[in-house]
Amino acid sequence: MSLLELRDVTKEYQLGKTTVRALRGLDLDIAQGEIVAIMGPSGSGKSTLMHILGALDVPTSGLAKLEGTDLASLSEPQLVTIRGQRIGFVFQTFNLIQTLSAQMNVELPMIFQRLPRKQRAQLACALLERVGLGDRAHHKPNELSGGERQRVAVARALANDPEIILADEPTGNLDSESGSSILNLLKTLSRDDGKTIILVTHDPEAAEIADRIVRLKDGAVRKEVEHV
Amino acid sequence: MFRDFFLLAARSIAHRKVRSWLTIIGVFIGITAVVALISIGLGLEKTINDQVSDVFGVDTFIISPEGTFGPGGAHADATFAIDLDHLRSIDGIQEAAAIRDETGFVQGSPDEAGDSIKGLLSVVGLSPELLTDFSSFIGDIELEPGGRNFTATDRNVAILGNAVATRLNATVGSTIEIEGQPFEIVGVVVPGEDDAAGRQSGGMMSYGRTTEDTIYVPYDVLLDLYGPADSVLVTLVRVAEGTDVDEAADRVETDLNERGADIMTITYTDISDMVGTMMSTISAFLAGIAGISLLVGAVGVMNTMFTSVLERTKEIGVMKAVGAKNSHVWLIFLIESGMMGLVGGAVGTILGLALSWGASALLSRVFGIDIAVVASAALIAITLAGSFALGAIAGLWPARRASKLLVVDALRYE
Ligand SMILES: Nc1ncnc2c1ncn2[C@@H]1O[C@H](COP(=O)(O)OP(=O)(O)OP(=O)(O)O)[C@@H](O)[C@H]1O
Ligand SMILES: [Mg+2]
Repeated sequence: MSLLELRDVTKEYQLGKTTVRALRGLDLDIAQGEIVAIMGPSGSGKSTLMHILGALDVPTSGLAKLEGTDLASLSEPQLVTIRGQRIGFVFQTFNLIQTLSAQMNVELPMIFQRLPRKQRAQLACALLERVGLGDRAHHKPNELSGGERQRVAVARALANDPEIILADEPTGNLDSESGSSILNLLKTLSRDDGKTIILVTHDPEAAEIADRIVRLKDGAVRKEVEHV
Repeated sequence: MFRDFFLLAARSIAHRKVRSWLTIIGVFIGITAVVALISIGLGLEKTINDQVSDVFGVDTFIISPEGTFGPGGAHADATFAIDLDHLRSIDGIQEAAAIRDETGFVQGSPDEAGDSIKGLLSVVGLSPELLTDFSSFIGDIELEPGGRNFTATDRNVAILGNAVATRLNATVGSTIEIEGQPFEIVGVVVPGEDDAAGRQSGGMMSYGRTTEDTIYVPYDVLLDLYGPADSVLVTLVRVAEGTDVDEAADRVETDLNERGADIMTITYTDISDMVGTMMSTISAFLAGIAGISLLVGAVGVMNTMFTSVLERTKEIGVMKAVGAKNSHVWLIFLIESGMMGLVGGAVGTILGLALSWGASALLSRVFGIDIAVVASAALIAITLAGSFALGAIAGLWPARRASKLLVVDALRYE
């Protein structure tokens, strides 16, 4: 059984009289421990897909299953638990909280899981260290460069040690060196910790680490490529 | 977790300093008014009660014409004859004394030329017991050297107010005539220092008249001169030790009413109840006004919170995306608005107390009235808790709106 499974998923947005069809009958299976790269032109529905996979949004029609359970059948508290404990999300626009330091941003998911303060701080520092920002823990997002913010977002996604990591262009703002280090981190997480990783990218180098590349066009899978 | 939520809320308040402070100002103006009014009100009540209990003590009550206090006002002509000896014989009564007020035809001592002044003057009959047993009620009557107070056996003697003594050309030892009868002057009251002091030291005895113009004679003499009392100002009764004042007062009232006297009794409890009722009426009125300003403050908090929810829509989306429950989001916003209320409450309490101390200092300087300021720990604690609650309640609706936001919608908000 696939860890994540999408069957004929559509997502439509109603804008006044026009209907925007972001996803049009998309099928996708993702196995435990896989690294999947999702590629495709702008507006092809990559972020929309990621939101559905991350239990942040629901399809207009079709099925989205996590371990065989239809996400639409789950109650809000159950979805909250999934978002908080099983999935780490790196947003395309980082979505850091401006009033909080890098460390507090990384601690935030742990606060909602009621982790003790000390443990939280240690974990957050370790994660920042891991993305190469050990010395930026007390900086606010607006005191960080774009690439640094992106790395804080990656660290936050790892906060509750989730089994699935959804990363929407995690290297989009990074130079090749820090980009590679993030990719190496993701690779390590997959190889050593068995994490399932789905990343959206335009970057062929990023696609290199993937086991499989899924190409989207106009809200559907155009081509899937097994990687070797 | 609560501590973290406080921290998150505090961060966001601190982040928008100006707006937060403006909101807080809206709250503390109301709280200042409430605290000042309550502490002055309680202080006034305490001051009045203290003074009443000073004058009365716990063992004394007064008998007064029906309707003197309370609605209807005083019937100046209410008739009642009180026999003090009968009063003293009622169970539980230890001592009784009365003040009676008449206007008498008075003739002064003759001067060197043999002329003497004549006219109508206020003649007040005082029981000698009033001076010996009820001195706190009568206030200090300080006599000039050589003078003495009435004794129980005194009949035709008088004590003169300072001004009236001069006018009647009388000093200790000289004689004046009241209603044609001779009265020996046994004392002259020392002139008051100034009006305010005179009013204060006079206590309740002078009934608005200064002691300067009054002629005091023993109470019983007025019976000879004018017959039974129909204009007794007030009768003071002291109960025996161990007797309940209110019960004794009820007994006396029933007894005298049965005997046809149109009187009522007033105990310390009655007065303090009356003061209490009056004060709580005034307080309720003022609290209503202060309540309006609190309401305005609360609306300010609500407005700020709605703006805050709107501005932080994306932040709310992020918190939810990383695992915040609706209740977490709700709580964070509620704490935020509660904290604005609390800070407003703290500032308001300090300003309110300062204001009432200032007012009390001003009153005592300008008018010579000392009003205690009541600043109990309970008042402060209730105010702080109340202002937190005020903020939190004002934040309920915005917080609820924040908690109901859908994750993706909130995340997309720019
Ligand atoms: N909330 C929304 N309301 C209306 N239309 C939307 C909404 N969200 C997405 N869309 C539309 O759905 C389509 C897919 O959007 P999506 O963000 O998934 O694209 P994407 O593949 O992530 O693009 P990019 O590479 O630029 O990030 C777009 O045409 C977009 O305009
Ligand atoms: Mg996108």
